[in-house]
Amino acid sequence: MARIEPERGTTAEDQRALERLLREGRISRRQFLGAAALGTTAAILAACAPSGGGSTVGPTGSAGSGGPKLGDTLNLATWPGYHDPADIQAFTDLTKVAVNVQVYGSTEEMEAKIRAGNSGIDVVVPSNYAVEGWVSDKLIEPLDYAKIPGFVRADWNSRFMDQSFDPGNKYTIPKNWGTTGIAYRSSKISEDITSWKQFFELAGTTYAGKAVIVDHQISSIGSAAVALGYSLNVSAPDELAAVEKMLIALKPKLYAITSDVQPPLRNLDSWMSIAWTGDGLQVGRDNPDGKYVVAADGGELWIDSYTVAADSPHRDAAYAFLDFILSPEIAAKETVFCLYPHANDKATALLPEDIRNNQIIYPTPDRLTKLEYASSATYNSAARAEMWARIKASA
Amino acid sequence: MSVGSRRSSSRRPRVGGRQGVLGLLLLPAASWYLLFLLAPLLVLAIVSFGQRAPNGGYEPGFSLDQYVNIGTRLTPIVNTVLLGLAGTIVCLLVAYPLAYALASRGGSWKTVLMALIVVPMWTSFLIRTYAWMFILGSNGIPSILEGLGFGPIQLLNTPFAVLLGIVYNYLPLMALPIYISLERLDHSMLEASRDLGAGSVATFRQVTFPLSAPGVISGCLLVFIPVMGEYLIPTLLGGGKTYFLGNALADLFLQSRNWPFGSALATAFVIAMLVVVGFYTWVTRRLSSPGREGSLL
Repeated sequence: MARIEPERGTTAEDQRALERLLREGRISRRQFLGAAALGTTAAILAACAPSGGGSTVGPTGSAGSGGPKLGDTLNLATWPGYHDPADIQAFTDLTKVAVNVQVYGSTEEMEAKIRAGNSGIDVVVPSNYAVEGWVSDKLIEPLDYAKIPGFVRADWNSRFMDQSFDPGNKYTIPKNWGTTGIAYRSSKISEDITSWKQFFELAGTTYAGKAVIVDHQISSIGSAAVALGYSLNVSAPDELAAVEKMLIALKPKLYAITSDVQPPLRNLDSWMSIAWTGDGLQVGRDNPDGKYVVAADGGELWIDSYTVAADSPHRDAAYAFLDFILSPEIAAKETVFCLYPHANDKATALLPEDIRNNQIIYPTPDRLTKLEYASSATYNSAARAEMWARIKASA
Repeated sequence: MSVGSRRSSSRRPRVGGRQGVLGLLLLPAASWYLLFLLAPLLVLAIVSFGQRAPNGGYEPGFSLDQYVNIGTRLTPIVNTVLLGLAGTIVCLLVAYPLAYALASRGGSWKTVLMALIVVPMWTSFLIRTYAWMFILGSNGIPSILEGLGFGPIQLLNTPFAVLLGIVYNYLPLMALPIYISLERLDHSMLEASRDLGAGSVATFRQVTFPLSAPGVISGCLLVFIPVMGEYLIPTLLGGGKTYFLGNALADLFLQSRNWPFGSALATAFVIAMLVVVGFYTWVTRRLSSPGREGSLL
C-alpha cells in the first residue's frame, strides 16, 4: 500500500506545475507522429522532462518496507506528457523500482509492441476501443485486485466505470478520460462553432484551406459521420460510403490531415481543427482566442486505462505501481500535470478549483450525454481502415 | 561490382589455410547480414502470405491475396515514384554544377566548402525537416511574399514542399559522389582533349561528363532509393495530403494493423528496388572501361 499524507502536495505545488505548463507550452499527447522513425522520441522526452526532484511523497507504504519483492524495473507504455516525472520518481523512491517510461503517439503503436510479444512492457495505457481485442487475444491479463489494496470502487465515477468494453473493470482501471472536439481561433472564425455539421460545412466553404482533421480514422471518420447524422461507430456500407464521399470531396480543401494539430493552430496556418481535450486546452491557454468545444451533435468520448500486459515480466512491480498511481492524491497530481480529467471522484475533489471548474477539462455532464465511445469493431474494422487509406490517397 | 574484384578472381589464394582466414574475416559481416537483413526479410515474406487476424495482426496461411491487393495502393506508389524521380532530377541539376565548381575551382577552399555541405547533415533529419515547417508556414516565406505584394500563397502541405524537403535533405548524397568522381578526374585527359581541338563544351560533353557518369549514377541511386521509402517528409511537409508508399506502409502496420498486406507491399517494394539496383549495376558495368573504377557503391 502506498499512502501519502493527504494534506500535503496540493495547491501551491499544483499551481507551480500549472505555471510551468503555461511557460513551456508543452506538447500534448498524440502530437506524436506515429512513426518508427521517431524511435528517439523517448530519449528526447526524457531529456526535456523536468527533473523529478522535490517530491512531497513520503515512503510510508508497505511496498517499500517488507512487502513482496518487487524487483528493480518496471516498463510503462504510455502517452507523451501523461505522467508527472515527480510522481514517477516518488514511486521509485518508495519502492526502489526504476520506471522506464516509454511514450507512444497512439494506441496502435502500443499494440504493435505488445502484439509482437516479448516487449518487456508491464503496464500499458490503451484507449477504450482497443481493450476488447486485447482481451480476446490475451494481450492483457485480468487485474488481480488483491494486489491493488488502495483501490476503492466507491470513489470512482460510474460514468466511466463498468463500460461495455470491459464489464466490471476486470482488465482496466481508467487513467484519464477526455473528449474529441473542435478547437478553433475565434479571431479568424466569426461564427460560434457548436457542431460537427457546422465544422465540416465551414471547412469546405468559408474556411477552405484553413481546417485540419486528424490522421486517425476513428476520430476523423467518426466526427464526419456525426456531421451527417450517423453514429460515430458508423458501419453500414451505404452510410460509410456517404462519409467517404464527403471526406474525399473535402480533402483538397483541408489545410492538412495530421494528428499534430497544435503547431498549425498556434501559427494560424489553420483556424479550426478536430482536436483532443489537451490540444484545445493548451492552445486556449496560450492564445486568448483559442476555443475548444464539445460538439452538440455528438462525437467521441474516450478513456485511457491502465492494463497489465499478459507477458509482463515484472508483475508485482506493475501492481505496486497501479496501487500507487491510482491513489486519489497521486491521481490528482497526475491530473494537474497532464490536464486530462480523472475518473476518480476523490481525486477530482482534490484538484485546484480552476482545473475542477474548467469547462474544457471537465465539461458539464449534459455536454457528454450525446458522446459515444468508439467501439472495438470500429477500431478493428478492415473496411474503415481501407476507407481511410482511400481518403488519404485521393487527390 | 568493380573491375578490381574481377581481377582478384584470377589471383585466388592457393593455400587452403588462407581460405580459412578469409572465412574468419567474413564471418562478422556474413552473420550480420544473415541475422539482421536476410532473416527479417524472410519473416516479411512469410507474413506476406498470411491473413489479417480479426483484431489485427497476423494469422498464418498461404495465399497470394495480399499481393493482388497491391493494386489498391497504386496512388501512393505513383506519388512516390513521380516525386522520387522529380527529387532525384532536381538534386542532380543542383548538385552537378555545385560539385563541378568545387572540384575544378575550389582550390584551397575545397575542404571547407565540402564541409559546409556535409555539416548540416549532422543535425537530426527530423529537426531540419521540422524547421522547414516553420519556414514554409504562413509566418515564414509566405508572409514575406505577401508583404512584397503577392497574394496569399500556401507553400506548406503541398507537393512542392515535399519536393523541396527531398531536395534539401538528399542534396549532399548527390553532391558527394559526383564531387569525388570529378575530383579524381585525370587532368591530362582534359588537356589531351583541348590539344585535339575540342572546345570547352565538347570537352565537357565527351570527356568530363562521361568520366563523372559513375558518380552521377551512384548519386541518383543514393537519392532515389531512400526517397522511395520516405515517410517523414510527406508527413511533415505534405501535411498528410501527399500520400507516399512509406505512409501507406505505416498506416497498414499501425492504423489498419494489417500486417500481411503491409508485408506484401513491403516485399514488392524490396523486389522493385532490387530491379533498380540490378539496372544500376548493369549500367555501371557498361560505363566502366577497363582499368577504371566503375562505382562507388
